[in-house]
Amino acid sequence: MLENNKQVILEAINLTKKYDDGVVALDNLNFQICNNEIFAMLGGNGAGKTTTINIFLNLLEPTSGDAKVCGVSSHIEPLTVKQNLAYVSENVMLYPNFTALQNLDFFTQLGGRLDVSKDEYREVLMRVGLAEQVHNKKLKSFSKGMRQKCGIAIAILKDTKAILFDEPTSGLDPKAGYEFIRLLNDLKDEGKAVLMSTHDIFRAKEAADTIAIMNEGKFLMKEKASTLFDKDLESLYMQYMAVHGLKPTTEGV
Amino acid sequence: MLKTLVEKEIREILSSTKFIYTFIVCLVLILLSFYSGAVNYKLNVTHWEAANAENLRSFEGIKEWYRVTENRIFLPPQPLATLVSGVSNDIGRTANIEPSGEIVADDSRYNEEPAYAYFRFIDLEFIFLVVLALFAIMLGYDAICGEKEKGPLKLCLSNAIPRTKFLLGKFIGSFAVLSVSLIVSIGLGSLLLPMLGVFLSSEEWLRLALIVLAGLLYFGLFLAMSIMVSSMAQRTATSFLILLIIWIGSTLILPRVAVLLSGRAVDVPTVDELGYQKAMYGTEQWKEFMNTLGNYEAIDNDNMEEVMANFNKFMDSISIAREDKMNLYRSRLNEQRYNAELERSQIAFALARISPSASLSLATSTLAGTSPNLKDKFYQQAKNYQTSLKEFLSGKTGMNVGGGMMIIELDDGSPEKDPIDPSEIPQFVYETESLSTSVKDTLPDFALLILFNCIFISGAFISFNRYDAR
Amino acid sequence: MLNILIQKELKSIIVSNKFIVTFVICSILLIMSVLIGINEYKQAVTQYETVHQMADERIQQVSSWHSVSYREHRKPSPLMIFTSGLSYDIGRWSDINSRSTVKLKNSIYSDDPIFAVFRIIDFTFIVQIIFSLLAILFTFDAVNGEKEQGTLRLIFSNAVPRTKYILAKCIGTWLGLLIPILIPILLSVLIVMLFQIQFSSQEWIRLAILIFISILYTSIFVVFGVFMSTMSRSSNVSFLLSLVFWITFVLILPRGGVMASGNIVSVPRIAEVEGLKVSYAKNKWEEYYKNMNDIFADSRNNNTEEDEDISDDMMWANMKAQDSLRKEVTRDIEGNEATLLEDWENKRKAQQHLGFMLSRISPAAVFQLAAMSLSYTDIDLKSSYESALRNYRIEFNKYIDKKSENAGPGAGSIMITMDSDKGMDLKVGRDNAIDVSDRPKFTHPKVQLGKILPDVLINISILLLMFTSLLGGAYYSFLKFDLR
Repeated sequence: MLENNKQVILEAINLTKKYDDGVVALDNLNFQICNNEIFAMLGGNGAGKTTTINIFLNLLEPTSGDAKVCGVSSHIEPLTVKQNLAYVSENVMLYPNFTALQNLDFFTQLGGRLDVSKDEYREVLMRVGLAEQVHNKKLKSFSKGMRQKCGIAIAILKDTKAILFDEPTSGLDPKAGYEFIRLLNDLKDEGKAVLMSTHDIFRAKEAADTIAIMNEGKFLMKEKASTLFDKDLESLYMQYMAVHGLKPTTEGV
Repeated sequence: MLKTLVEKEIREILSSTKFIYTFIVCLVLILLSFYSGAVNYKLNVTHWEAANAENLRSFEGIKEWYRVTENRIFLPPQPLATLVSGVSNDIGRTANIEPSGEIVADDSRYNEEPAYAYFRFIDLEFIFLVVLALFAIMLGYDAICGEKEKGPLKLCLSNAIPRTKFLLGKFIGSFAVLSVSLIVSIGLGSLLLPMLGVFLSSEEWLRLALIVLAGLLYFGLFLAMSIMVSSMAQRTATSFLILLIIWIGSTLILPRVAVLLSGRAVDVPTVDELGYQKAMYGTEQWKEFMNTLGNYEAIDNDNMEEVMANFNKFMDSISIAREDKMNLYRSRLNEQRYNAELERSQIAFALARISPSASLSLATSTLAGTSPNLKDKFYQQAKNYQTSLKEFLSGKTGMNVGGGMMIIELDDGSPEKDPIDPSEIPQFVYETESLSTSVKDTLPDFALLILFNCIFISGAFISFNRYDAR
Repeated sequence: MLNILIQKELKSIIVSNKFIVTFVICSILLIMSVLIGINEYKQAVTQYETVHQMADERIQQVSSWHSVSYREHRKPSPLMIFTSGLSYDIGRWSDINSRSTVKLKNSIYSDDPIFAVFRIIDFTFIVQIIFSLLAILFTFDAVNGEKEQGTLRLIFSNAVPRTKYILAKCIGTWLGLLIPILIPILLSVLIVMLFQIQFSSQEWIRLAILIFISILYTSIFVVFGVFMSTMSRSSNVSFLLSLVFWITFVLILPRGGVMASGNIVSVPRIAEVEGLKVSYAKNKWEEYYKNMNDIFADSRNNNTEEDEDISDDMMWANMKAQDSLRKEVTRDIEGNEATLLEDWENKRKAQQHLGFMLSRISPAAVFQLAAMSLSYTDIDLKSSYESALRNYRIEFNKYIDKKSENAGPGAGSIMITMDSDKGMDLKVGRDNAIDVSDRPKFTHPKVQLGKILPDVLINISILLLMFTSLLGGAYYSFLKFDLR
């Protein structure tokens, strides 16, 4: 199946998560994400998208199965896994009393890169679309979109094989959304494996290589975006949801 | 990696308004406590000197040593007592020493000046106990759950750092900044002492340093506890509420309840009751004494001097016998009370030490020489002084002073005597407990403070490792 | 409209954690403090009765009028259950006799310093420290917290006037706090009733005023918290500000006021005054002895040549003369002492007055002063007892003087005569137990409510003034509050 230069970066094998209260968040989930690939998990609230990301980050332990990054299980060697992961949360919150540069500096060092110069920080900030005059502003004065860009800059600077995005486009204006997709494609071209969760059908279709529709911890559908190209993703989504008797929700949390 | 975390922590604290506010308030309060301590001490010294001078003056013009029947002694003010007042304002400081009989110290400062008893004093112990603990809580209550609420915690933990290291960075960073700023404040405060004319001996400096060390341990303990609670709670509001309850409980409630409980557990006779028992016994003895005296048969001798000498000898012997009996009775009662008191205070302090505030209070007051022992020590030394006064007066008059005696002054036309020199009367010198004893007494408290620190720090690590960071 | 807002305020408070926590803390603390207070009071009463009886027994054993001494004890006031005030700091008894002057000695704290280490916890302390802190916790985020939640904008998208909103905030939070503090207060009063502590009707009125002042005091902090929450946009900042102000006003300023007055008005210590007193007395006695010696020598010189027998009459006359001279000296010394003490007390009063004036910047100090004077455990406790005891002493001494004059010489004294012929003769007075049952009795001073009422009213009006100015402050600063 795999092409020669492709290798599996992110992998879920029979991933299952049951909470103490009996709720099944993930039910035997399987997927593989290779380098140069964007994988979008599409689903309503409580579908299990964030739980999947939390397991990769070892913020949760799977009940059974494995979440592997470059072949290493996240709950067995979390620190090795985290070296290969960057993470951008839905609502990026950084230290409000630090400037953008100070935040970048801290998180980059935390990510294990101690030798990054100020110019490089500025370069990355410019690349994600933050103008030079805000680089030395404190984070508490930043809007949501600006914080998002900072978060992406941190992920870029960490320079990992995989990036996890949790609802990256919620709350972004159309222009910022467009810029984000372009950035995502750049990252893909650099060889990264990207896992993103989203409610946004159109952005998912625009950017992703593989799209999975998720409900109650299961993939209802997993297809290459290219094969979906002609079909109407939205009607597919509604269709799958309707089959399972659930009202689809598309608003942000 | 750890360096990065510590650096970030320090930078974050320094850039927060919270820290700036608390630092300024702390600095002002600590300076205030040192300033008022110094001023208070100097005032106390002036008053003490005046009282001593007045006492000495009262002996002026006396020509016969047997007229000197008592001397007043005053507990001298200690510079550290104004920084950690302990019980120094509660116990009597003035005692009338007669060559025999019981010693009772009067004039506790709060009895004498009840205005001060309304709100008490701002001293270093109070600042440590109340203000610093509150500030430690304020600086630590959101250490973990605040990062979660604000958001960066998840991002931090998406990096390859072990949680222990993350928490360690937090601990090191916050301890370093806060202890440095505290030490700077206290250092500035202690500079005020010599500037205001209060000079401490090197031993006292050492004691002060230990007091500060106890304060730092206490502060660290509250900081560690705050971080621990913040790594158990999901929300900052919950964390603060829990910490506030702990603070109220440990600082305001537990120690008091412990002492009151111990008061119930051990029955200590009150001073008043003992006083009456002694007085009743004294009356009995006096009657017996008078009876014996009434049965005295004077020797048949023409020489008046010999008759007198014989009588005085008799009188001496029975009054010594009476005094001995009284002393025995008194010391028996006192010992009973002392033992009961000791038992009570052991129970009270053992119970109270569940709360680290009690450990801090006891450690600092012991180091400053103002622990409840101060009363016993003062009485003990006053008793020693009584013995030396008695010896001195006996030497001067050649009589058994304090007992019964007959003195007949015969104006035999001998030249006027010169007045006595009051400065010959032995001086009362209060000796503070030796540093090594104080340190030995405070060891359990220091050990407890360190233990509490360890418990809270390890508690923080354990709970943070299980912390739901989602 | 106002109703809806207040209801919403109350509802949101009642379901919150802090409401339950406050209720539990207040209940536990108040019930505990009252139980401790009742226990302490009962013990104090038992002890008072014991020592009082002992004092009576003791005085009956005395066999000579010259050595009659009585010890009068301070009677505990039942309101110390709520405000222990200075009752542990002030001496509990004074000796009443002709030799020493009135002075209250032996406070509980000086006898048992162990209790002084952590002090006593009582109702007033809990209200002063804990209630005020809880009030701030209730309200520090009243307005800016709603802004942070985002509900503020929504509320003001309706036709709600700002005045009504801020008023509803104050009333709502106040009512919300009133429930968890008033129920424990009433519970503690109920406990006092259950334990059958005897309160006079006046003491019930005092207690009612005390509870009123407690609520007024707590209300100040409720409004203060609301004020702070309108001053800053972030609840973190308002929380910090409130806490800093709380520490300053509740913990620091009361102490600071009294300490500052101690440095402004210099008053000598009692030890110093007593030193002066003793010096004066010693000098006077020295003079007296000298005179006596002269008289003695004179009489001896006169007697040697004439009748060698010193008749009892002569002796009696001599003693009388001696006695009157002695009394004169005593009067002189006491007169001097009275002036010294009066002078000292005036200075002391001036210092106290200034100290209390200064500390009244703080509502906590105002509250405590009012609570203590209502509970009769304030400074007046000492001065009123001392002046009552001084009057009693005069009466008592008169009685003793009269009795001893009637009893004549001899009883309980030693008489030694010396004669070159007969040698030495020693007569010890017989022990006739003396009857002191008709001695004057001491009536414990009671400060009437009417006497302290003006002072209490002043304190109440200061508290009211603070309350209204904070309310005004909250109102004006909310008018300028940025709702975005």
